[in-house]
Amino acid sequence: MNDSSESTLAATKPLDAVSGTKRIQPVLPVFRQSRLHRLADRWSHLLFLACSLLVVALIGGILFFLATRGLAAFFPLAGNTGRTLSFSEVFLTTDWAPSSDRFGILPFVAGSLAVTGLALLVAAPTGILTGVFIAKLAPPWMRTLMRQVMDLLVGIPSVVYGIFGLTVILPLVSRTWLTNAPASGFAISAMILSVMIVPTIVSLATDAFESLPPSLDEGSQALGSSRWQAIWHVLMPAAKPRLLTATVLGLGRAIGEAMAVQMVIGNNPQWIALMRESTDRAPFLRALFTPAATLTTELVQELPNTAAGSPWNNVLFAMGLLLYLLTMVLILTTRRLGRGQEA
Amino acid sequence: MRTLPALRTSPTAKHVDRLMRGVLWIIALGFIAVLLIFVGAILKQGWPVLNLGFLTKMPETLDAGGGIKPQIFNSLYLVVLSLGLSLPVGLGAGIYMAEYAGKGRALQFFRLCIETLAATPSIVLALFGMIAFVQTMGWSFSIRSGALTLALLNLPVITRVTEVSLQSVPRELKEACYGLGATKLQTILKVALPYAATGILTGLVLTAGRAFGESAILVFTAGTNTSGQFPDFRLTVPGETLSVHLWSVTSDGTLPDAREIAAGTAAVMILILLILNLLVRFLDRAIRRRTR
Repeated sequence: MNDSSESTLAATKPLDAVSGTKRIQPVLPVFRQSRLHRLADRWSHLLFLACSLLVVALIGGILFFLATRGLAAFFPLAGNTGRTLSFSEVFLTTDWAPSSDRFGILPFVAGSLAVTGLALLVAAPTGILTGVFIAKLAPPWMRTLMRQVMDLLVGIPSVVYGIFGLTVILPLVSRTWLTNAPASGFAISAMILSVMIVPTIVSLATDAFESLPPSLDEGSQALGSSRWQAIWHVLMPAAKPRLLTATVLGLGRAIGEAMAVQMVIGNNPQWIALMRESTDRAPFLRALFTPAATLTTELVQELPNTAAGSPWNNVLFAMGLLLYLLTMVLILTTRRLGRGQEA
Repeated sequence: MRTLPALRTSPTAKHVDRLMRGVLWIIALGFIAVLLIFVGAILKQGWPVLNLGFLTKMPETLDAGGGIKPQIFNSLYLVVLSLGLSLPVGLGAGIYMAEYAGKGRALQFFRLCIETLAATPSIVLALFGMIAFVQTMGWSFSIRSGALTLALLNLPVITRVTEVSLQSVPRELKEACYGLGATKLQTILKVALPYAATGILTGLVLTAGRAFGESAILVFTAGTNTSGQFPDFRLTVPGETLSVHLWSVTSDGTLPDAREIAAGTAAVMILILLILNLLVRFLDRAIRRRTR
């Protein structure tokens, strides 16, 4: 802002004048008010508004650009140089073989849901319990320590999580449990993903429990409940909307994570077919260690190899559009959840 | 809510209480263990590779023994550029939301947009950057495409941090400033922002850490190559960063020593992030000392 160098806080000068002479002089205004300042004050908010509107425009812009490419897969738009696909063949078939013109993305949708679900199964309970622990049970030193641990965990880049999974966990699991069969698949991906999303859940859950009125806790303990009874029967239900919000945001992070999962999941678009063929006696366990693929990993894996405008390329962008729309739905869900809470 | 048995603690309840306390401690200690094992393993794998040659040599494309000098430069360059792009906009939007937007529908809407942008997966931002900058603008894989897209990742965090920091400025301080005859703009620039500066700076360092570790966005906008020169400040050349390098050497598989290079790169990244974390803690302490 161009006027900032001009106006100075001249508080010292009038004060000197006051002490120097007995008569109290009018010391206001201390801030200089030239015409320029008033003009700047009147119009500057437009600049700030423009910044805010830019964010709004970005939301729309991302949607627009993704839609022009993603929808080109289904409609004869400008970005489509191949044939147009029908919604049902893309969203309802499990056969992904782009080179032979088959574009079923169901394996990736199912893969994303599976890996996210498994990660949440681990991360949501442990995250919420850690939140209770930090907010209500831990001694102060443990509280600070846990905060720092979570800060560090959230700060570790996803590729480093990926390389850890690739070079430490995969060989270890493969050697010890699977008699040297490759271990990549849902189980390890979900395991790494759960560590990645747990800080989000922990920090939001901690906030949720800390913002509860202390009278709840005190009241139930005055009635003779144990510490855990108070937590389980009183605090958890009271914090429920915000705990759900925490879980939903964790879900959002998990479903959008690309690199770490891509490095350990095995990248096999045909995983559903592979599992159908397998005659294993424990199909669920087998499924956990079947190389698979998700929406995000498939994007990372294949987008650089496809020509712009081809149906293959357009379907990949449609998958990106799907992820973006999903984000919006999740955010609106947290809004809905938070509405009852904010009083 | 169920009614609790007033003043009656059964032996089972006591046992459950003790058991659950134990479980909570075990979970918490488990996370500490996970972090220690994680950082320990990464540093242990990378330690034999880390030496001055690794940090100061150019990367090889086919032979063993390449370094990561340009990647370190590109990482820092892209972080600085993207922060430079997103800081003014983020500050402006944060100021608007904290000081001008009031408490009504407009603020709710802006918050919704910021939250949506913050929750957007980085791979989606990458796709946007790829269409908008790499293809539509015709900038191909370059530093400028990468910096602009990376700025989208930083923007919501900076905006949020600015808004929160400005809201924490004591009302009396601002009122005193108005009392001295300042306009609203002068109050914001001279009193509120300096007071909020440490908080914003902490957020900025955290954002820098996130941008530093980001890979999905840069794979699709800044590319997986370096220009082959050092230092290369041009905005039009591809700029592979440390995190992208870590990913591309492991997934390409053309380098004979890809494993060592990945391990060394990961260790360098962890070390840089640990230093950043210490910086955040230092800033945080500075804030607490002042507000006490």
